[in-house]
Amino acid sequence: MDFEWTAEHNAFRERLRDVLTRTLPADWGVKSRYDTSSEYVSKYSRTFCPMLAKEGLLIPHWAKELGGEGLDGFHHWILGEEMVAAGEPRSYQYMSVNWVGPTLMKYGTKAQVDEFIPKIKSGNFIWCQGFSEPNAGSDLAALSTRAERTKNGYIINGSKIWTSGASFANHCFMLARTGGARRSGVSVFLIPMDAKGVEVRVIPNYIGERTVHEVFFTDVEVPEEWRLGEENKGWDIVTHVLNLERIGIPRYAFSLRVLDHAIDLLKQRGKYSDSAVQARAGRAKAACEASRHMALSIINERVNGRPASATTNVARYALVTSDRMIAEFLGDFLHDDLVGGNDPMIMSGYRRTGSVGIASGAAEVQLDLIARNLLQLPRGD
Amino acid sequence: MNLDLTSDQLTLQTAIEQLADHHRTVPTGTIDHFVPGVALERDLEENGFFDVARQDDMGAVEAALLIETIAQLPFTVEVGASALVAPMVLPGQVLPRPIALARAPFTGPVRYLTTAKTALIDTGNDVRLIDLTGANIEPVKTPFAYPYGRLTEGDIAKAKVLKGVSPALLRQWWQVSLAVEIYGVAKAAVDLTVQYVKDRRQFNRPIGQFQSVQHRLAECTMLVHGTRILARRAAWSGKASDAAEAAAYAQEAATRIHYDTHQFHGAMGITAEYPLHLWSFRLKALQGELGGQFEQAKAAAVAHWGA
Repeated sequence: MDFEWTAEHNAFRERLRDVLTRTLPADWGVKSRYDTSSEYVSKYSRTFCPMLAKEGLLIPHWAKELGGEGLDGFHHWILGEEMVAAGEPRSYQYMSVNWVGPTLMKYGTKAQVDEFIPKIKSGNFIWCQGFSEPNAGSDLAALSTRAERTKNGYIINGSKIWTSGASFANHCFMLARTGGARRSGVSVFLIPMDAKGVEVRVIPNYIGERTVHEVFFTDVEVPEEWRLGEENKGWDIVTHVLNLERIGIPRYAFSLRVLDHAIDLLKQRGKYSDSAVQARAGRAKAACEASRHMALSIINERVNGRPASATTNVARYALVTSDRMIAEFLGDFLHDDLVGGNDPMIMSGYRRTGSVGIASGAAEVQLDLIARNLLQLPRGD
Repeated sequence: MNLDLTSDQLTLQTAIEQLADHHRTVPTGTIDHFVPGVALERDLEENGFFDVARQDDMGAVEAALLIETIAQLPFTVEVGASALVAPMVLPGQVLPRPIALARAPFTGPVRYLTTAKTALIDTGNDVRLIDLTGANIEPVKTPFAYPYGRLTEGDIAKAKVLKGVSPALLRQWWQVSLAVEIYGVAKAAVDLTVQYVKDRRQFNRPIGQFQSVQHRLAECTMLVHGTRILARRAAWSGKASDAAEAAAYAQEAATRIHYDTHQFHGAMGITAEYPLHLWSFRLKALQGELGGQFEQAKAAAVAHWGA
């Protein structure tokens, strides 16, 4: 057992920090407000990601023959930690490199790979994920957006909701029902966001500027070539995507930075010496370190070639728990900053941690999966 | 980074598990508050397991692996101070065991003092050693599943200052030992409870089918996993901040797991005839040791951000 990063891992992290220091503007915090979904960050990502691509840092974990550097899963996770800690200047392009690209390479036709992989590798192509629907959130298999067969392909009708980045994405990786009920009748489609019949509405929310949207599909004509994989076999792709997402985003990386900043502020105000403040800060720090190391344990499984298991759900729930502690700490000890709303890092930390349990599927679903698959508890009615 | 156990560590773990297999159940009809693991202790001594951290190419991680497994057994055996704390604090000296750990102010009873042959005490300014051979320690009856005894002024007067040993180092390894032990005890308590809710039927179904039960046991499972990874990291790194974080997390986990494991056992769990208390009332004891979660969390903050 060895918790030490290799020299190669450390050098990779330093390289990322160096790039971030050299690249991000001095007033990045004020301009970005650490909001992945803001207009500023999404526009910025279209120059930042091509720069990362030139530096070989956009897709370092992809195989060399696919244009990556062939680096291990820990490099990928370090990349995520450093970018998240910086406020995610890749905007939603982290999805492209984490799971959209690898999924297209596994399930896509040659034409689809030829079309999309160069765009993803260029760092200037943003995807959104059209999964959730008004009546299919945590119960994704209940989705009802329909793709009806036509002579030349399909007509899609329905709507998606809670879609991140939809108002500035180029393409949507979406699910529609092409067959029967539940998982057996789902297919995946790759839809240009400027296709006729696609409409987007930003949903005002307290997490970020354009974090969630509604996407409406009205008589959208879709050629056969826009379908990914076999008809009605989309659930296999969904499972693959969720396996790639597994523990998701290393949220604790930003949360730990927020906590450091919060302690600096409390020190300046002479409030940190209060032992209650120290104890609560130490508690939150310990929880973040626990979630970080549980996440690293999952990456360790991946690096050592073992399949995903329900311990992934344990790690994911730990991420939720530690972020909640950060939100509670900010709420209890930096109330005036939250009311004043002037400190972008404190505000972003508070907003992000407020959504942690509902993003990417309700945290309670993780608990269900732990109970069922790890503890082998009997299923309910 | 490689979080897998090495082949040597796996071999050691297998050997510990094989030894533990002989000590997984208490005699039928046992209603004692706790069950001293006399035979277990003898087996561990005869096979040299208490010295694991002093072996070539072994250290705190290997000692932690020992504590992880032994703490899951229903018997009470002093292993943390002997196998982990003493070897890391006094690497060149083998102390007579069992070893009790105490810290100033010496107002409360001390765990394992009645059976200990040595006590290591943290006065706040230095670390002292008390040879308890032949001492007549008065046992103290407590609600907890460990033996406790009280230090007297005379015992403390006999203490010898250990030059060059810092109280901070003793506290650090005490914290690591606490975290590892809480992991083992908590895992066993949760495992027992998971099996119980599968077997116990009410409302024509196993109570483990209720989502309210499932979710809380899933949360307890997360706490068990988190306790283990932080405890292992602290054993591996030897850093004070890691030790404090591990102990803070573990002691909070102990509180929650004690409550939930009892809650799901219902009245059965509060009887002496059912063995849950052999773990749950160890958790309760460990929850408050060294000042409890509040003190460890403060120490974690001070280690990271300063005082």
